[in-house]
Amino acid sequence: MGTGGETAAVVGIGMTEFSATRGDVSMPGLVREAAQRALEDAQMDWEDIDAVVMGKAPDFFEGVMMPEIFLSEALGCVGKPMLRVHTAGSVGGSTALVAASLIHSGVHQKVLTVAWEKQSESNAMWALSLKQPFQVSINAGAGGYFSPIIRQYMIESDAPDLIGCMVAYKDRQHALLNPYAHLHQPDLTFDQVVESPMLWEPIRYSETCPSSDGAAAMVIVHESVAEKSANPAWIHAGAMRSEANNFPGRDEVNPQASRECAADLWKQAGISNPREEIDAVEMYVPFSWYEPMWLESLGFCERGDGWKMVESGATHLEGGDLPVNCSGGVLSSNPIGASGMIRFAEAALQVRGMAGQHQVAGAKKALGHAYGGGAQYFAMWVVGADKPTS
Amino acid sequence: METHERLSAPLVLEYPFTRTTGPVIGAFLTGLREAILLGIKRADGTVLFPPTEYDPQSSESLYEMVEVGQDGTVLTWTWIDKPRDQSPWKQAHALALIQLDQTDTSLLHAVLVDDVKQMITGMRVTTQWRDEREGHINDIEGFIPIEGSGV
Repeated sequence: MGTGGETAAVVGIGMTEFSATRGDVSMPGLVREAAQRALEDAQMDWEDIDAVVMGKAPDFFEGVMMPEIFLSEALGCVGKPMLRVHTAGSVGGSTALVAASLIHSGVHQKVLTVAWEKQSESNAMWALSLKQPFQVSINAGAGGYFSPIIRQYMIESDAPDLIGCMVAYKDRQHALLNPYAHLHQPDLTFDQVVESPMLWEPIRYSETCPSSDGAAAMVIVHESVAEKSANPAWIHAGAMRSEANNFPGRDEVNPQASRECAADLWKQAGISNPREEIDAVEMYVPFSWYEPMWLESLGFCERGDGWKMVESGATHLEGGDLPVNCSGGVLSSNPIGASGMIRFAEAALQVRGMAGQHQVAGAKKALGHAYGGGAQYFAMWVVGADKPTS
Repeated sequence: METHERLSAPLVLEYPFTRTTGPVIGAFLTGLREAILLGIKRADGTVLFPPTEYDPQSSESLYEMVEVGQDGTVLTWTWIDKPRDQSPWKQAHALALIQLDQTDTSLLHAVLVDDVKQMITGMRVTTQWRDEREGHINDIEGFIPIEGSGV
């Protein structure tokens, strides 16, 4: 049980305001905004940090090759180790786990981890759909890739058509409680979600994530440092898995890598009944239907029952027993490279009791989850208000 | 042995990017357009030119932009006898590290002289502005020797 090695905790969290265009800040300014807020929360200064671990989606999104080198000085890394992590959309999660591993291994005591994307510097949606010689290009972006998988889920699980709209409507309501969220749509109605244009059938416009600028940062420290902090989020478990996006017999709706990652996570955390033992979930849902799909894959319910949890309101902050994406989730803010770390950081905020208006009352254990690529890279952690017992 | 033609196809990637300059670089570039040179003051009072948003040593945020001198001193240089096609300069010139007055760092730019014999480390130079300026480092055409200043 446990992550192995030294015990680690999150003692500082910082995020930027998320929006379509952060025209007021440069790339260094954006990452520094999140990093400085995390340092301030941790009551630390640049000089207190031993190493920096940065995550970001493909360099092509901003057109800066190896931005970790370009941003080293901006992140206080002169004379210190700087590592870059890259695992597509899951990168924000895996970056946090790599940062935590530097503590678990005993190599460092205090690590700053930062993940970011400045999508307004280009157009990441279509950067993923470049034409390749000798291949048919349908130029359909991520939604085009995932829509048949979602259709497959709907058929397999016999889910009603509007479950996805319920997820989207719920997350946009949650976003109203999060001042950092990109989309604040107080006047949005459920009918408007349903009536929004069909982009990639069965995915409607309002069931997709926005394109955002933003960054998230955390200070992860050894338990000897964390014990001096007023309210650390203790890392109980962390797991990563990956698989190819195309092979015969692949379960694309519920990938093996996802299931095995979750099983490893719950085992490390000593959790036998995730639905009962987890108080808040921040999962990576860029298209609405991924909420019921991941609820099943993560073991919060039996296969085919995820949509029933959504339909029953179980994942609502208001009255739900397993609130999912109280921050508004990826559906309300999506700076791609940062989106996974936002999930991890929001989980940590919940167990620290620092989530403000979107706080789940009394949250003791929370899940942060991210996936990337063609649903082929997975990163997850469990954080708790109490120190892990072993 | 029979030879086969190998299949190949061109792949040309073209993709538009923009750059958000932020408060410091944005002010620096705006200054260039107005033919004003702006550096930024560090905590110890030294001035970085060109300016950065943060101290490159301590990473502390920097805010105090200051106008610096348009004259400076050549710290070191190299001679470009035949500029390549991509060079912003068509004539022979020096590339030099130039420390402007009231600054503590140097700027890489051209010194526009006709002959390498005119180049001396420690020589005094002044900014030569373009008439048409757009907020770009090339709004400075280069630096020219201050006549009679010696070394």
